[in-house]
Amino acid sequence: MTQDAQDAVGDYKYGFHDPESATIRFDKGLSEQVVRDISKLKEEPEWMTELRVKAYHHFMQREMPTWGNCDSLAGIDFENVTYFLRSSDKTENDWEDVPDDIKRTFDRLGIPEAEQKWLGGVTAQYESEAVYHSIREDLEEQGVLFLDMDSGLKEHPEIVKKYFGSVIPHTDNKFSALNTAVWSGGSFIYVPKGVHVEMPVQAYFRINAKNMGQFERTLIIADEGSSIHYVEGCTAPTYSTDSLHSAVVELIAMEGAKIRYSTVQNWSANVYNLVTKRGVAYKNATVEWVDGNIGSKLTMKYPAVLLKGEGAHAEVISVAYAGEGQHQDAGAKVHHLAPNTTSSILSKSISKNGGRSSYRGMLQVTPKASGCRSKVVCDALMLDEDSRSDTYPTMEIGNPTADLEHEASVSKVSGDQLFYLMSRGHSEEEAMGMIVNGFFEPFTRELPMEYAVELNRLLELEMEGSIG
Amino acid sequence: MTSYLDATVPSRSEHLWRYTPWSRIHPGKVDSIPEVDVAVIKSKDIQLSTVPFEPLPTTDIARIFLNEVIQETTVVSCDEKEGHIHIHAGGHAVAAHLHFSCSTNSSIVVHLHGEPDWFGLALTGDTNSNARLSVGIINELSSDSVLVRVDDWDVHRDARFELATLSMGGIRNKSDIRSTLAGTNASLKQFIAVHGHGARHDDHHIEIHHKQPHTTSHLMLNAACDDRSHSIGTGALTIDDIAQHTDAGQVFRNLLLSPTSRAEAIPELEVQANEVSAAHGAASAPINQEQMHYLMSRGLSNEEATSMIVEGFLVDSFSGLHSEHVRDTMQTRLTVHLECQLIG
Repeated sequence: MTQDAQDAVGDYKYGFHDPESATIRFDKGLSEQVVRDISKLKEEPEWMTELRVKAYHHFMQREMPTWGNCDSLAGIDFENVTYFLRSSDKTENDWEDVPDDIKRTFDRLGIPEAEQKWLGGVTAQYESEAVYHSIREDLEEQGVLFLDMDSGLKEHPEIVKKYFGSVIPHTDNKFSALNTAVWSGGSFIYVPKGVHVEMPVQAYFRINAKNMGQFERTLIIADEGSSIHYVEGCTAPTYSTDSLHSAVVELIAMEGAKIRYSTVQNWSANVYNLVTKRGVAYKNATVEWVDGNIGSKLTMKYPAVLLKGEGAHAEVISVAYAGEGQHQDAGAKVHHLAPNTTSSILSKSISKNGGRSSYRGMLQVTPKASGCRSKVVCDALMLDEDSRSDTYPTMEIGNPTADLEHEASVSKVSGDQLFYLMSRGHSEEEAMGMIVNGFFEPFTRELPMEYAVELNRLLELEMEGSIG
Repeated sequence: MTSYLDATVPSRSEHLWRYTPWSRIHPGKVDSIPEVDVAVIKSKDIQLSTVPFEPLPTTDIARIFLNEVIQETTVVSCDEKEGHIHIHAGGHAVAAHLHFSCSTNSSIVVHLHGEPDWFGLALTGDTNSNARLSVGIINELSSDSVLVRVDDWDVHRDARFELATLSMGGIRNKSDIRSTLAGTNASLKQFIAVHGHGARHDDHHIEIHHKQPHTTSHLMLNAACDDRSHSIGTGALTIDDIAQHTDAGQVFRNLLLSPTSRAEAIPELEVQANEVSAAHGAASAPINQEQMHYLMSRGLSNEEATSMIVEGFLVDSFSGLHSEHVRDTMQTRLTVHLECQLIG
């Protein structure tokens, strides 16, 4: 990256962009024809085309949410978004076959290196579709399916048809309707009964083009007694115009299965990140969301778990960093629908330089769900007087045996802690950085080592120059 | 002034009306304004006077409606007084507006009695600089009355305001209680105890707005829900950017006593200042079986032991009140009410 480019993108180290080299690019704007064209291009079965069209009409009719950051949402110009852009003719299985310009981008992001060291499989998505995909042979031999979603639909249509939209129907909200209409890419994973995928599998999402919309669709099914850890990361270049990322992620954990879904979201500050994520946990199953939001202009994301089977467990660890011009509206939703289900939600947020972080949560216990236990903890740190922190929790209790706790606090960095560190020779900036890293520690310790190190580095970068 | 008939009826997607739609607590058809009588307000120890009604802020449909039906304002003289005010409501629909202006030190308990189908109550007040005001509200309306209550309180510089609510009467209650800490070093303590029994539906929305620095607020809502009752507690705590050195806390606790009772707790925080301590907590749990075992092993029946635990849980709501007069009155009325319930 040239010095000029570096200056332009500031501290956001993934703000570079490569020249666009689209093989197919749709005109900006959304219509039924665009939706049909995407489906036709992908040679999809008719049921998927019809589902897309139905979702498109629902999207057009559905009003924008009247809560959250309505002013910022009103700034989205759906007609100025490119809904489909194909950068490569096919998804490669060998890194060397990936087109050079795209390969260069992912090399910079460290994807191939990470794959060699510690991943069970990787998908790299560039704009609308996956450009690279691989899975370890031993996992493939055990029957684990790890494909990009488009290939998943082609090769396993019966599984996709059964589960696609079963957790998040297109009528769920305006953005799930949009995603269902124009989805492209994402991951499809099926873990057979009793198989434990020991090493995490990873997907990396990159938006490169201006005014691009990325609408990946991910479906993970862990069959009885299996387990998997899925990690996703995302970046985009810094442009003066906005991009839109609206994903839908559905997780299904069958009896005794465990799914952990970790996200380090580091979109540039011109991306609207409006994502719907929901998992279903059947008897004695566990669904865990480990969700880090560092980037984007506006994030509205509330990972949810439906605890449908007795003894199921949900865990959500969510951290958010809201810097200048950013609003991180994140949170978690857990619905206790069966007896003896348990959940734990930990949310931590930091607001700085006029940023706004919000926790929005829902904890519901239905009348049938006896003997449930849940704990929700929300902590917020405010680093200056221009910032803002909000908490909007909801607890709906329909069963008298439920044992639920919620606690939240908003505070500034403790003067005692700063004094302690500075008296041991750290500058105020270093001390502040250490306190912030420590504040996020419950999140970083749940991430694979490389991601944790990267996150700490990102935070240090964000904290640079924060002390006047 | 916005006219009720021109106003839009809020939908359930609006936060304030999510659990108790306006149509459920309006006295009649929602697009009409029925004839509303004036409630009888009496006191032996507090001086009351009536003045023409000053409209309430038109921030929501309940206040807009009350602006149409309230005919006069009863001004409560808060002059170094301790005492009781009794509001008797009867007939189809009645309404009242009480205004408190306190510049000294007063403790007043307001009792709501009677058997109205619908009762609209507006409470407004100023706790002026350096004043101390404690107000207790006891809802003892008959078991089929509907209560719509709206409060607007301002607490000024160096003033201390306490507001306690004991909600145990009526079939349906929607209370929208808003307080503003409008002066430096102002302090607010708010305590609410809810006893849900039968098919009671009790919805308390509490807004506390810190507009000035060095202000403190404390809110505690304890709800014990039996039978088919439903308690809702929503809190909206806002701290403005200039309100540095604010100390604010909210606690919502629910005790569910029967399989068909329900409770909702939504304590919200909006903080725009950084030198603050703002916290909230919410908890919901069944009766502790160890406590039950302890009491029953000492000879109490299941009902007596439950009643004693509920009493302890709700009486505790008022233990933080500084005013002995308000605290003792609230706790005594609660104890009598629970004993009557136990006897049947």
